[in-house]
Amino acid sequence: MHKLFLFLARYSIVGLFLLLEIASFALFVGNGRYAGSVFFSSSNALIAGLYSVSGRVTDFFKLRSNNEGLSGENARLKERIAVLENELALVRAGLPDTTRFVQPEQEVAYIPARIIHNTTNRVRNYITLNRGASDGLRPDMGVVGPEGVVGIVQTTSDRFATVISLLNPLIQVNCKIKRNNYFGPLGWDGLDYRYAQLTDIPRHVDLYIGDTIVTSGLTTTFPEGIPVGVIENFTCDEGDAFYHIQVRLATDFRRISNVQVIDYKNRDEQEALESSLPM
Amino acid sequence: MRRMVFPYLLPLTSHSLLLTLFMLQTVIQNIIRFVVLVLVQVLVLNHVQFLGFVNPYVYVLFILSLPVRTPRWLTLVLSFGLGMAVDAFADTLGLHAFACVLAGFLRDPLVKLLGAGDDNNDFTPSMATLGMGNYVKYASVLVVVHHLAIYFLEAFTLAHFFDTLWHACLAAAVTLVIVLGLQLIKRR
Repeated sequence: MHKLFLFLARYSIVGLFLLLEIASFALFVGNGRYAGSVFFSSSNALIAGLYSVSGRVTDFFKLRSNNEGLSGENARLKERIAVLENELALVRAGLPDTTRFVQPEQEVAYIPARIIHNTTNRVRNYITLNRGASDGLRPDMGVVGPEGVVGIVQTTSDRFATVISLLNPLIQVNCKIKRNNYFGPLGWDGLDYRYAQLTDIPRHVDLYIGDTIVTSGLTTTFPEGIPVGVIENFTCDEGDAFYHIQVRLATDFRRISNVQVIDYKNRDEQEALESSLPM
Repeated sequence: MRRMVFPYLLPLTSHSLLLTLFMLQTVIQNIIRFVVLVLVQVLVLNHVQFLGFVNPYVYVLFILSLPVRTPRWLTLVLSFGLGMAVDAFADTLGLHAFACVLAGFLRDPLVKLLGAGDDNNDFTPSMATLGMGNYVKYASVLVVVHHLAIYFLEAFTLAHFFDTLWHACLAAAVTLVIVLGLQLIKRR
């Protein structure tokens, strides 16, 4: 009997070790798809609460650069308003009143939110926001900052949401080159937080360093024309059909703190129509 | 002596109140260490981004500092719990748990290999108890294993093998410097 206990004690350790390793590995590979995994994420009220306190402290030190960013955005928006008002006046003069000025794919609302936790130094980076389902956030909504695209909402609790950062190979954002409208997916290779990679641009396209990359509007997550970055350099090996394009991201993920979540009003209508197509 | 087989049953069989109190003190000390290390890790160290990618994981010090007579199953369970706690904050469910369980599993054979822990008395591995040289070996092996596990599992590919290796080793070195520094301060 005593020897049996010794035997069990000896091998149960290896068994327990393997059990825990397999459990951890499965959880990691499952990547938050398991029931109850919201409890073990930063959407959890306790963890999010702790982060929102520490976020308030770090925010204080970022005030200056955030102010600069916001005033820059203000200036750009005022400029756009002026241009649009001019156009509106021209259009109004020539068209009947029944014209619909807002196109259906441009009907979006912006929900302001604050980042209370953010990483840039991992391979899979996530962001936590201080807005959640009760503020209208839902999974798959796009998140943008003053300079450009930030990420996509992954999970929401009542008052908090986690966002898959653009710095995470699990997501790709469909982007296009603003100058000539060629589009392709943009993803991150996990190496440098300042650069992402744009692929699937065919080699016959003319590219220039400094070309602006914006969202294509071909998905329901981001409307068209939100800045993503500029081309830093590109290569195209002999025999490759597509360019490898290095894009300098517009958003500085190390100091971003105020973002807006994009609520596309006609998403359900568009997706229902699209899913009715035969595959 | 039967109690040498199941040392964790000691407080139940021992008639020495003093010994029980001593164990209680060790338990409380370790609980405090757990909480403090997790909080420091997730609130401070996870924001340290030396060179943009080096993130020291000093919380592994908890596994290094468990008393040598801790039953192995408890070491494994505590390592798993520690990893899950850090994972919950970092949104990397399972990643740190995997690395911690690995480090927790290798800990006891390593202590034995270094020749400590053979005698029956319980102690916390530190520079004072293991000696400078042995502690450096002990800490380096566990920290490097832990960091390699994290960085390679996180990358989940061997595509950037040398980048990942370099990142892991650099982060392990930074962690090791902090851990050894803490030990040196404590020894005074």
